[in-house]
Amino acid sequence: MAVLQVENLKKNYGGLQVLKGISFSLKKGQVLSIIGSSGSGKTTLLRCLNFLETPDEGRILVNGEELFSAADARTATPAQIREKRLHFGLVFQSFNLFPQYTALQNITLAMDLQEKERARRQKQRVSRQALEANQQKAQALLARVGLAEKAGSYPWQLSGGQQQRVAIARALALEPDILCFDEPTSALDPELTGEVLRVIRELKSADTTMIVVTHEMEFARHVSDRVIFMAGGVIEEEGEPEQVFGNPQSPLTRAFVCQAGIEKD
Amino acid sequence: MAFFDSSFWQINLELLQGFGSTCFIFAVTLLASLPLGLVICFGSMSRFGLLRAVTRCFVWIIRGTPLMLQVMIVFYLPGLAFGLPMENRMAAVLAAFIINYAAYFSEIYRGGIESIPKGQYEAGRVLGMTDSQIFFRVVLLQVIKRILPPMSNEIITLVKDTSLARVIAVGELIRAAQDIVAQQALIWPLFYTGIFYLIFSGLLTIGFGALEKKLDYFRG
Repeated sequence: MAVLQVENLKKNYGGLQVLKGISFSLKKGQVLSIIGSSGSGKTTLLRCLNFLETPDEGRILVNGEELFSAADARTATPAQIREKRLHFGLVFQSFNLFPQYTALQNITLAMDLQEKERARRQKQRVSRQALEANQQKAQALLARVGLAEKAGSYPWQLSGGQQQRVAIARALALEPDILCFDEPTSALDPELTGEVLRVIRELKSADTTMIVVTHEMEFARHVSDRVIFMAGGVIEEEGEPEQVFGNPQSPLTRAFVCQAGIEKD
Repeated sequence: MAFFDSSFWQINLELLQGFGSTCFIFAVTLLASLPLGLVICFGSMSRFGLLRAVTRCFVWIIRGTPLMLQVMIVFYLPGLAFGLPMENRMAAVLAAFIINYAAYFSEIYRGGIESIPKGQYEAGRVLGMTDSQIFFRVVLLQVIKRILPPMSNEIITLVKDTSLARVIAVGELIRAAQDIVAQQALIWPLFYTGIFYLIFSGLLTIGFGALEKKLDYFRG
């Protein structure tokens, strides 16, 4: 069964229709790359999935459960959204680490707040064991992204690539069903993109379901299971990477892939 | 050494009493206007257009007129307009000071809050935090760090603004010195009050410097 189903998603800003009916599905453990030029709607799509924008039409289902339906206002109340958005994780282009917290604290903060809320709801005291478990989990995640020795560093003491890897660990800590990346390497110097892409590759080998909005064509071609090419708010072409890159059906896709290839040389 | 005879210490004592009122006005104004400023700030950033307009108009009036005038209006207007004369001069001073400083603080807060990148809020939201968790656990400390220099400026100005209380004959430091000038025909106590203000603002400068240093451990 598909872990994610998106049905006919539409989004307008004022009179401008940015998403004109997006539908796709994703299987568990698959990596989906979304490519396309700026303004094609790919970032908006990702923001809709993470409830940073509210779609005007359409439905979002995770594991068959309806998380959002534009026809049903109850699915868009803040409390509902807060609960349901945790099915998704999001890694931002500009990292957005919290500057006043160490790498480790950036990862534990949301987990600790959840533990405190749970304790309050059940009228219990915050369990020290749970907080310690969070620390250990965060430490393990840092090790996983290759930053075990940076646990006590503040964001300004880390390079862009290291900050982005902390941000990935932070998103993983809440165990989302689907981890989304919004151009995770676009804010990085070229020599730092490799370490971030390596982490994403490693996540793929651990069967993490991921959606990656990216301009890294080589990466999209070799790491994805599916590729979506977006243009003008619609899915212009969708398929396996070999097909989309090797034998594109739509002239728009062909032009984009060609141009991206030329820029690379 | 006429300076250090017994009258010198006597005059110091009298000035210290005036300085006590100065410190009192300073402390009460600060304690009340810091939180009130936050309330006004939220008003001027409200989603509701009318509330936002009313709040910003209020801030414009308060910042656009002299504090001395505001003190006089608060003291005299109730009596003139409603036949309810203000009994307590100190209360009038405190009311005017608190409103005035809250208006200034609200604008400093607003600048600080609006300067925090949107990405910080979005990162908090995708991690499932509530709006208040985001404000208190993510945004607030960054705001405090950013507004510390303008706040220290404003608070040091408050030290000196306390002298405006004498326009409605509240006995603060300068007023105490003027009494001595009048009664003992000595001018130096008036000039000497400058030392009190300098020491007070010097201590504040050191305090704010320490606070800024304490928040130096992060950038952003």
